[in-house]
Amino acid sequence: MIRILRTKRQALTPFLLLTPALLTMLFVVAVPLIFSFYTSMTGYRLTRPETIENFVWFRNYLRLFENSDFWAAFLRTIIFLAIALNVEFLLGLGIALLINKITWGQRTLRTIMMFPMMFSPILVGFQFKFIFNDNIGILNNALQSLGLSTQAIPWLVDANLAMFSIIFAEVWMSTSVFAILLLAGLFAMPRDPIEAARVDGCNSWQVFRHITLPFLMPFAFIAMTIRSLDVARAYDIVAVMTGGGPAGRTELLWTLIARVGYDNARMGQANAMAYVSTILSIAFTYYFYTKLVAARRYMGGAQ
Amino acid sequence: MASIKLNKVVKAYGKVKVVHGIDLDIGHNEFVVLVGPSGCGKSTTLRMIAGLEDISGGEVLIGDRIVNDLPPRKRNISMVFQNYALYPHMSVGDNLGFGLKIAGQSPKVIAERVDEAAGMLGLSELLDRTPAELSGGQRQRVAMGRAIVRHPDAFLFDEPLSNLDAKLRGQMRAEIKKLHQTVRTTIVYVTHDQIEAMTLADRIVVMRDGHIEQVGTPMQVFNHPVNTFVASFIGSPPMNQLPGRIEGANVVLADDSRVPVPPRLMDRVSEGQAVILGIRPDDISPLGHGLGMPEDAEQVATLELRVDLAEPLGMESLIYTSIAGQEVQAKLYGPRIVQPGEVLTFQVALARAHLFDAASSRALEVA
Amino acid sequence: MSTIASRAQVRRRIRAVGLWLTTFLLMIIICLPGLWVVLSAFRPNREILAKPPIWVPEQLTLNNFGKIFGFGAEQVGIPVLAYFTNSMIIAMTSTVIALIIGVGGGYAFARFRFRFKNGLFLGLMLFRAVPGIALSLPIFILWSRLGLIDAQLGLIIVYVSLNVPFTIWLIDGFFRQIPISLSEAAQVDGCTRWQAFWRIEFPLARSGIAAAGVFAFLTSWNEYALASQLTRTTDSKTLPVGLMDFTAQFTIDWAGMSAMAVIIIVPALILTFLVQKHLISGLTFGGVKG
Repeated sequence: MIRILRTKRQALTPFLLLTPALLTMLFVVAVPLIFSFYTSMTGYRLTRPETIENFVWFRNYLRLFENSDFWAAFLRTIIFLAIALNVEFLLGLGIALLINKITWGQRTLRTIMMFPMMFSPILVGFQFKFIFNDNIGILNNALQSLGLSTQAIPWLVDANLAMFSIIFAEVWMSTSVFAILLLAGLFAMPRDPIEAARVDGCNSWQVFRHITLPFLMPFAFIAMTIRSLDVARAYDIVAVMTGGGPAGRTELLWTLIARVGYDNARMGQANAMAYVSTILSIAFTYYFYTKLVAARRYMGGAQ
Repeated sequence: MASIKLNKVVKAYGKVKVVHGIDLDIGHNEFVVLVGPSGCGKSTTLRMIAGLEDISGGEVLIGDRIVNDLPPRKRNISMVFQNYALYPHMSVGDNLGFGLKIAGQSPKVIAERVDEAAGMLGLSELLDRTPAELSGGQRQRVAMGRAIVRHPDAFLFDEPLSNLDAKLRGQMRAEIKKLHQTVRTTIVYVTHDQIEAMTLADRIVVMRDGHIEQVGTPMQVFNHPVNTFVASFIGSPPMNQLPGRIEGANVVLADDSRVPVPPRLMDRVSEGQAVILGIRPDDISPLGHGLGMPEDAEQVATLELRVDLAEPLGMESLIYTSIAGQEVQAKLYGPRIVQPGEVLTFQVALARAHLFDAASSRALEVA
Repeated sequence: MSTIASRAQVRRRIRAVGLWLTTFLLMIIICLPGLWVVLSAFRPNREILAKPPIWVPEQLTLNNFGKIFGFGAEQVGIPVLAYFTNSMIIAMTSTVIALIIGVGGGYAFARFRFRFKNGLFLGLMLFRAVPGIALSLPIFILWSRLGLIDAQLGLIIVYVSLNVPFTIWLIDGFFRQIPISLSEAAQVDGCTRWQAFWRIEFPLARSGIAAAGVFAFLTSWNEYALASQLTRTTDSKTLPVGLMDFTAQFTIDWAGMSAMAVIIIVPALILTFLVQKHLISGLTFGGVKG
């Protein structure tokens, strides 16, 4: 009898330890999400609170799919993320490989490398808003005084340049995540397989492709998973740099949500968009998390 | 100083049993070694005695108490872990005294006991160091000291020497033996190394796949193994095992060569029985280079064998030869160098040879 | 013979120099934007806006800082001190609570096997994946009903939930680095499981827990999307919201804005410097070994 009670109590311990965490997530995230879903199926306008009773089923969603602004923002967001994440990965890999090779002052380099990660996205946005400003930003100033250009380049105004600028800011901010994790992977890598491959006749590129890269994949997936958790922080950057403009040229999904929900007070519609972006984020994270788990298993065997 | 009893102790993970109802009686102050290959359940059994694993079935008694439901701290035992498990953030002195502090002992008593244990193990100079500053052997001693200090009813050792190099292992083995003589306490010791088992144990428990194969003194287990597993596990180099058939007073081997049935086993064999002939390398030697070969001609068999390989070990050599197509190891005592290809007359000490029933693997000596 | 040797040596030299050059360039790109902003914070607007640009500062001043805090000749009227205090209180409180929750949760994942373990972990991660702005919509409505808009408590509660998943992930990793045999040895030595945790495992994980705390602090300190919607007045507005307001309100006072930026970044940089190596080990250990 005592044994049964003791085993039962022992089995409950982990759940008891996790209860505060689960309760928090439940009340602060799960419940609002459900509420958000409900709201997305109403024609709720902040200015007329009674409209929350106005149930319209999936009309908001259908409207979304017909809305060209939405699709434009959606597409822009996808392009933004696709470019940014790939560039971050490649640059991060390059930086990690570089720092790995350097022996003197490596610690300092690693610390410096971490700085961009710790900036508030608002700060990053502000910083580049300052630098890319066509009148007084130092970029244009430098280009002009070096004679490389004669007029002010509209970094934040022209549609393509503005996209470039926000992607640049985002890459500047988040490449460190990849660089740090991939560097940790390079540090953790056992030397023997590399030496064996060298002896077997592989050149540097082959060693990299067949030995180094597969070993680094779990680390890359950790980085991707972490990135996908925070991918919406790009909202902060865009909000301060361009506000989604000018004229919606840099409107991403998130700035559109803010505009529709808070500026236009059309909460029902905004919640529908928000749900789309949430599902996107969750799908992203889930995808990379499963890849991470698979890679873990694979590497666990090799280790 | 208590005895430990295991009654039909079972360990299962879900539906999978890893320890199948073992019975064991460990006496007061006895040094018992659980030995066996990886996965045989010896560590699991030890941890069940310690209280670090739940007991799925049966009972464990320490002294006269059934301890199944008692947490480790109520069982009054100490344990030395394979990786020492020293508290890295405490000094050696604090490591030693930790258990006493938890038990609420006065600082005076703690200091006394710590000094006593430190003195016993040569740690008195190291009390202020942290584990990170110690060598492997020193850490091992601190782990032992931590166990001694609490004056427990029993010491449990979980493969404590596996992480040490061979030379250190030999030294520590002697220290552990000395410890047992000084501190007269029941010891349950787990290892996969049969040499440790042979040198340290009062009694050896040979385990395989969650079962106890044999319990006995080192000499009993060495000289009278109950089955082929124990026979090949205990003793190094391992016992040679040759399959054969009983015909009359002989064992007929695979190539129809004949070895006489050891006289003491004549009334245990039946005609045509499939058997396994077991000969330890120490018991088969070239003529004139054996150790303790029986005088009586009936207790000795003679074979002409060709040497395949000789490994000189100083005053003895390990000879690789073959009987009936199977590799056999033999010992040559003395300084003689033997070349591969030489054909020598070998003597087999039948008095110490074994026969096992091929079907059951059990020794014919045993009922 | 000597020509071959020196050719290889020359090649190695070139490679080393190339490596250094690239690294140097890299560090410049990383540091320059930040450095420019920090520099601008100490220069008068006149210099910053000058064309052609004045590279080497002619005049360094602390005016900008005084200005935004409300001292000196040119008062700006942005209550940076209030923002700073709000950010501090909100970040510290939410961090402490998130740590307490996280230590329990992290320990559960590190030391126990239980049903739904993987599912729960994944669930926590996926909750975290909800974009801030998306979450802000329903929370805004709900918090209005609950009277938590423009209250520090409102943000604190939200930030706790924002930080819990990652804190758990990190602390899980740190606890796994401590061999379980230490806890077992302590239990054999006379500790209950709880005592073994407090006296052995917790002290050993302390630095890792501190690192997780710093990370949580920074997440709260830097957050904008939720803060911008859940705050209204200086009762609860945080520094990032303040900076955004500033840029909207005083679009050409780049010096003042830079000063504010410096105030936001300095604590973050200091804390990052302190914990960098712990973060990496916590992330990767838990991440790769599983």
